[in-house]
Amino acid sequence: MRGSSIVTSTKARRRLPWGVYLVLLPTFALLAAFAYYPALNGMVHSLFEWRPGFESPFVGFENYLTMLGDDLWWASFRNIGVIFVWAVTLMWVFPLLAAELVMSLSSERLRFVFRTLLILPLAFPAVVNVLLWQFMYDPRDGVINSLLRAVGLDGVAANWIGDPDTALVALMTIGFPWVASLPFLVFLSALQNVPAEIYQAAEVDGAGRLRRFWSIDLPMMLRDVKLLFVLAVISVLQYGMQAHIMTKGGPDNATQVPVLRMLDAAFLDTSWGYAATLGTVLFALTLGVSLVSLVLGRKAGA
Amino acid sequence: MSRTRRTNLVAGAALSVLAFAGLFPYLFMLAASVKDNEQFFASYWSPAWPVHLDNYAVAWEQVSPYLFTSFVVAGLAIAGTLVLAPAAAFVFARYRFPGRGALFGLIAALLMVPSITSLIPLFVLMRDLGILDSRLVLIIPHVTGNTVFGIVIMRTYMAQIPEEIFEAARVDGAGGVRLFLAFMLPLARPVIGTVALMTVLGVWNDYFWPLLTVQTDEFRTIPAGLAFFANQNVQQWGPLFAGYVLASLPLLALFTFLSKWFLAGIQGGIVSGK
Repeated sequence: MRGSSIVTSTKARRRLPWGVYLVLLPTFALLAAFAYYPALNGMVHSLFEWRPGFESPFVGFENYLTMLGDDLWWASFRNIGVIFVWAVTLMWVFPLLAAELVMSLSSERLRFVFRTLLILPLAFPAVVNVLLWQFMYDPRDGVINSLLRAVGLDGVAANWIGDPDTALVALMTIGFPWVASLPFLVFLSALQNVPAEIYQAAEVDGAGRLRRFWSIDLPMMLRDVKLLFVLAVISVLQYGMQAHIMTKGGPDNATQVPVLRMLDAAFLDTSWGYAATLGTVLFALTLGVSLVSLVLGRKAGA
Repeated sequence: MSRTRRTNLVAGAALSVLAFAGLFPYLFMLAASVKDNEQFFASYWSPAWPVHLDNYAVAWEQVSPYLFTSFVVAGLAIAGTLVLAPAAAFVFARYRFPGRGALFGLIAALLMVPSITSLIPLFVLMRDLGILDSRLVLIIPHVTGNTVFGIVIMRTYMAQIPEEIFEAARVDGAGGVRLFLAFMLPLARPVIGTVALMTVLGVWNDYFWPLLTVQTDEFRTIPAGLAFFANQNVQQWGPLFAGYVLASLPLLALFTFLSKWFLAGIQGGIVSGK
């Protein structure tokens, strides 16, 4: 049945191709139920005191007003701000350095070996990475404190994720030196795409390694850097798994992030309408960033 | 010593340090996974003999249900995605029909909705449907997410395949379904593989959804399951690390044998904002 209608649709273009719509129907039915409906329902219920299973009174913008006065919510944005700055500086420097080093190797074989070793951590589940770092920070038996004690720096050893002063930095240091990451893959492939003639010409002109980096490598990577920047904004807005496993937003809310605040609002405070509000705001922010980058990208491309 | 050789040595040394630093936690995990608690403290920094493979037996007891559920969820999510996405992508790539642009735009727009921001309403929906705490509740979001992503990348891929390949078959009287099954699907194998791999990566990295929707221990997938397992085995270093290794093996195998698709999956996954 399905088949014959597609055939008619290609042969007789004048008639409406029902077969085509029939093929798309199950996909749209699924998306309507489990993608469009929940997304819209969340926005609608951000205006309600949402009590799933019970009557939910309409409260207008009350949840949004609550959000404006929610100090924890704003503190969580300060924290992801810090995480973001760290993510686009330190967490790019090492991958960039590694990519440059790999490309300065003269043998293809060595390049392949080091590239593989450097990205190998990507082959492990993210949760394993976080749990291993949780162990690294263990106050008594962890690697970091053991190392400090082994070299006689007992005084420096600390409860890294249990102390509000160090918890956020500890979270951000997960995965050090961050070479097994998307930025590394992006930088490396950008450098691989620089035509060899350009480098040869630079060498003829007597350009040194640093000069070459500023005048050739960086401009060649600019497009990718912009993309990585946008992705970093979007992913920091969704940051949460590491914090949930290691600190649950603590100690003393030092590692509170928007996603955890939203989940706590729903699952701890059972303020589902308020949680829907926070989710809606996070969504609007993500969408805003995506759209702004799309518009800017189009302008730059034209 | 020549200049290239010196560059190679310096770069190689620096890269070795970086690679070692990145791999250190995993090397430590491997070494500690075969130590008993006494060996863990006595030879903290180095491997120890005899190796205690029994740690793996202990860990297997607890981690295997999570692995099993993860395989089931990933397998069924892939099956669901592959029933829906390739056919829809084929239609978008190869047919002209009223509303094509708008319908495709509706799908592509979902790429901009991060799964975490609709977690709350999706949770309430699953609650209303009465399917919380089941494997089904874990499978559905992966089917939706990967169908969206799959349609977008498969459409691009399918649109690039030259029309001539299909022209000949069409002259022979092949219909749309036959063109799709006999010609397009085999040609689209690489992109189908990428989507399947992304689904597996998604199941192995999705933490909050299984954590919040499932209470029955054996319904937990690896991320939520392993976090629970870590809390159950505090100070049991050998079995703890053995469990981490077991949970990592499937992805490691994929990385080893399908590294190209694996990396495409990672890049695709991050680019699509998941």
